Amino acid sequence: MNIFWRELRFYSKGLVFWCLGMVILIWTSMIKYSTFSAAGQSMTELLAQFPKTIQTIFGMTGFDLSKVSGFYGVMFMYLALMATIHAAMLGSGIIAKEERDRTSEFIFVKPVTRGKVITAKIMAGILSMLVFNIVTLLSSIFFIYVYSHDVSFVGDIVNLMLGLLCLQMIFFFVGTTTAAISRRPKLSASIASAILLFAFILTYLINFNSDFDLLKYLTPFKYFDAKDILGSGHLDWAYLAITFGLISTMVVVTYTTYTARDLDV
Amino acid sequence: MNIIETKKLTKYYGKSLGIEDVDLEVREGEIFGFIGPNGAGKSTTIRTLLGLIHPTGGSATIFGRDVTKFGPEINAQIGYLPSEVFYYDDMKVIDLLRYSGSFYGMDAKKVDVRIRELAKYLDLDLKRKIDDLSYGNKKKVGIVQGLLHQPKLIILDEPTGGLDPLMQQRFFDLLREENKKGATILFSSHILSEVQRLCDRVAIIKDGKIIRVEKISNLADNTHKKFKLETATPVEKGRFAGLKGMTGMTIQGNSISFLYRGPMNDVTKIIASLNLTNLIVEDPDLEEIFMHYYQTGK
Repeated sequence: MNIFWRELRFYSKGLVFWCLGMVILIWTSMIKYSTFSAAGQSMTELLAQFPKTIQTIFGMTGFDLSKVSGFYGVMFMYLALMATIHAAMLGSGIIAKEERDRTSEFIFVKPVTRGKVITAKIMAGILSMLVFNIVTLLSSIFFIYVYSHDVSFVGDIVNLMLGLLCLQMIFFFVGTTTAAISRRPKLSASIASAILLFAFILTYLINFNSDFDLLKYLTPFKYFDAKDILGSGHLDWAYLAITFGLISTMVVVTYTTYTARDLDV
Repeated sequence: MNIIETKKLTKYYGKSLGIEDVDLEVREGEIFGFIGPNGAGKSTTIRTLLGLIHPTGGSATIFGRDVTKFGPEINAQIGYLPSEVFYYDDMKVIDLLRYSGSFYGMDAKKVDVRIRELAKYLDLDLKRKIDDLSYGNKKKVGIVQGLLHQPKLIILDEPTGGLDPLMQQRFFDLLREENKKGATILFSSHILSEVQRLCDRVAIIKDGKIIRVEKISNLADNTHKKFKLETATPVEKGRFAGLKGMTGMTIQGNSISFLYRGPMNDVTKIIASLNLTNLIVEDPDLEEIFMHYYQTGK
């Protein structure tokens, strides 16, 4: 438990800033919505006349922007990007930092197995992501209520946040896996962010061009597409199964490689 | 009983050699020196013993248990001071030491007492942040975290770097005290004199291989001294003719240097007859020992 608390304390300050960032992002977006909706139908019509490319770039396709749920659906992509950047950095950092900061000659000569060290770190990481997620959820509900008084789709927001949590978990373990495999600790964060960026750009490609539709299995962002979740009212079981499989695989790889390899000291 | 025992312990990093066929036996209660030039394989051996890296061949046991299988159980009884000390920069010294102590299942109050005792003795400020410490002070933190749980085996990798002579003295006293209480010590260094001051036996490692294990008393008897003289006028070589035990003489203008092993009076008589401007007598460094003694003695 000592490692768990230590990690939690280490990341607490950063987490506060991330959460603050999320609150501000949601707040300012909802202010935008309130001016938007005040302008009424004309704004929606104007936006509908934008070329499809522009709409896709801003992630607006398929949403009814005059409704708060539609607006929030567009916003979700940005929330997801923030949350996954946080998760990937956290995942790679929490494992790689002992080697990066050269403290592995401290922690790994203590009477604990490497497996237990990783477990404590992963637990601290998951708790951090939960806090991130719950802050996002509560501030979403709060600001939606303040600026639109529409609470009818709280259930949808909870679904979206469950999807967000899955995305966070996936990219967290992408981070731990790269850190566990790579013997160059500084490299692992770059690899994890490159994977994240690739997945994000792929999402755009798929949205642009339906020819790429089959590639949707390659990017987790497509598993939890706000359009689909808001449309169907629930998460897709097939995607949840893939998520579960992905996470389990990455957990196994993280543990087996990190406990077996030479540490970079 | 052997506290540390390695049999043909080998570690390759890919194709490059770390250590090869290292056979070591460190007995209970001794202070065992581990000496060799930088890059000889001292740290590789130690890190393999501690399970930070895994051997590619051979085996090693500590307290009679295989290091690759019983790492955590063994580590509970080991205090380790790495050659380069790095700790969590965001922590205060006291918090780091408490964190370190928390791994050993000790009573928190006892840990605190022990921390304060050691810190006072080493003149270490517990309230400072790790980030603000000088290298010497970080080394002190390392000493305290290595000794606070009163381990049965203390492993020190080049521990004296960054410590001033007074602190070095206190540190050595501390080690002797722990040794008297029963701790076994493995002391790695590239400085022969500090190993001579502290150790009972010494293993000499070069290019990844143990080339000799010797009692320090034997080594001391055979130790060469390095003489460097400067004279007012050039001296011809013949003045030192007939001096037994002198090797490697070089003369450059007014300065002469050589290694000497033998009765001190014989050499001082000759030196006294010269018109000296400067005289330095020192322990030769390890490379010189290897050159003039071990390669021939092997």
